[in-house]
Amino acid sequence: MIQVTALNKVYTVPKRGEGLWGSLRSIFSREVEEVRAVADLSFSIQAGERVGFLGPNGAGKTTTLKMLSGLLVPTSGQRVVAGFDPSKRDPAFLRRITLVMGQKQQLLWDLPPKETFALNRALFGLDEAEAKRTQEELIELLELAPLLNRPVRNLSLGERMKCELAAALLHRPDVLFLDEPTIGLDVRAQVAVRRFIAEWNERSGATVVLTSHYMADIAALCPRVIVIAGGALRYDGPLKDLAERYGGGRKVVVRTRDEAPETLGPFVREDGALVARLPSAEVAAAVDFALRQVAVADLSIEEPPLEDVLSKLFAERA
Amino acid sequence: MFRAFPTLLRIGLAEAVAYRAELVIWVLTATAPLISMFIWDRVAAEGPLGGWGQGEMARYFLLTLIVRHITSSWVVWELNENIRTGGLSPMLLRPMHPLVFFVAQNLAAMPLRAVILAPLMVGVLWWRPELVWTPEPWTLVLGLVSAVFAWAIAFSAQVIFGSLAFFSQQSLGLFNVYFGLWSLGSGYLFPLELAPDWLRQLLLWLPFRATLATPVELLAGLVAREDALGLIAAQLVWVGVFVGLAAMTWNLGVKRHEAVGA
Repeated sequence: MIQVTALNKVYTVPKRGEGLWGSLRSIFSREVEEVRAVADLSFSIQAGERVGFLGPNGAGKTTTLKMLSGLLVPTSGQRVVAGFDPSKRDPAFLRRITLVMGQKQQLLWDLPPKETFALNRALFGLDEAEAKRTQEELIELLELAPLLNRPVRNLSLGERMKCELAAALLHRPDVLFLDEPTIGLDVRAQVAVRRFIAEWNERSGATVVLTSHYMADIAALCPRVIVIAGGALRYDGPLKDLAERYGGGRKVVVRTRDEAPETLGPFVREDGALVARLPSAEVAAAVDFALRQVAVADLSIEEPPLEDVLSKLFAERA
Repeated sequence: MFRAFPTLLRIGLAEAVAYRAELVIWVLTATAPLISMFIWDRVAAEGPLGGWGQGEMARYFLLTLIVRHITSSWVVWELNENIRTGGLSPMLLRPMHPLVFFVAQNLAAMPLRAVILAPLMVGVLWWRPELVWTPEPWTLVLGLVSAVFAWAIAFSAQVIFGSLAFFSQQSLGLFNVYFGLWSLGSGYLFPLELAPDWLRQLLLWLPFRATLATPVELLAGLVAREDALGLIAAQLVWVGVFVGLAAMTWNLGVKRHEAVGA
């Protein structure tokens, strides 16, 4: 569904000197510098996949999504989305994709959301009966019924994002580019949006490419992640392997009935409990060993927090 | 595109109604022709000016007010805002040209502008009942065609200056310079009939007259039949020039937008 080969994007940014002298000089001699936002990026995404795009601020995630949706032209490289060259923004292509940006909204600010829905039905030239059915489905899934007649400006951020998603999906696109769809939302709204994206992907079979700074979004939605930093690919594979490879293993915590020994096999004592950090393959043996050696009061196996895994990954390759 | 237009108009009108307070203020701030009418009425009371008496003068400014409101739009501000803040991006991802959306938005607000303007018209006609005149059919037809051309030039001019926001932070400043020149050269503040000869000759070569004075003078029946077609032809040339320039600026701007983003 998406094929990206050796994609590059270099921005030319004007350089301004400091202070009055710098400003005056920039009028006469315009210095520029080149900033490479995306560097030799290659990957492919199959139809129906849910892929998370991860990276620190300025990593090139949004630039990549904009290039895939046709808003930005790459400096070099190829990309094919749903069989189209996105740069041409062919109407047939635009009917098969959608881009939802958490920080830029398309809803008509002073009108109720149902007017934006009507506008999009008309702009996309949708069959009225079919589009109404999709609209009803989205209203039900996102629980929008009470919001439909209220001006967008009177809705909360979470309510607006739910309406934004509905407006973006009325034409039933095959590819969803979601750029931080949960940014600024409270936990309840985040959960609602996440649940909806997963359910829509199941129902419609649409491909979902998502960026988010909230690891919970990625963990809940994306079996596969692509990590980029400094515009370059750092990791592309299953989320669980990412934790395995860069997370320093799983954390096994054993609380004992009696006082815990200083060390026990792979375990060392931390805050009164026996703790071991191990690769997945060694966890079962370590647990078995502990159960046989000490009287166990409580036992837990924790995945390393994704945030830790990622900061380790970014730091390691930076 | 044509199938979507009724919905675009309906939503455009709904938006105009939502912004009705701003619209009222905007319509009232654009009533300079009424003030000009009172001033020039006093001047014309002393004796005819350039062959125009009080009646012609009042008719001219009343029609100036109407044509000004038919041909004005906000697209320069809309484009500027959307280009600077990235609001244009979602518009570019819809399978319809964003400018079609702005055209519909502009046309949709016209009925509401007419409703707001109506009391002013009634007031003026009450003040000067002799202003109720029966235009000749040919002046009415040519005047209306000319008003459509004037709208096309004025809208395209705003698209040109609005699209400059793709390249410069100063696009609104440049538009203000254009607007200043337009006020002086279009017949908005004073009838071009009263301008010195050299200025009138110069204005024949500039686009401003085509955006206002031409349709106003035609509708007011102040143009001789043999001059009418020449004025319309000149307007048509300006329509071509402005629509062409607007398309060029927009396309170059969108290319730049695709290169650097918002």
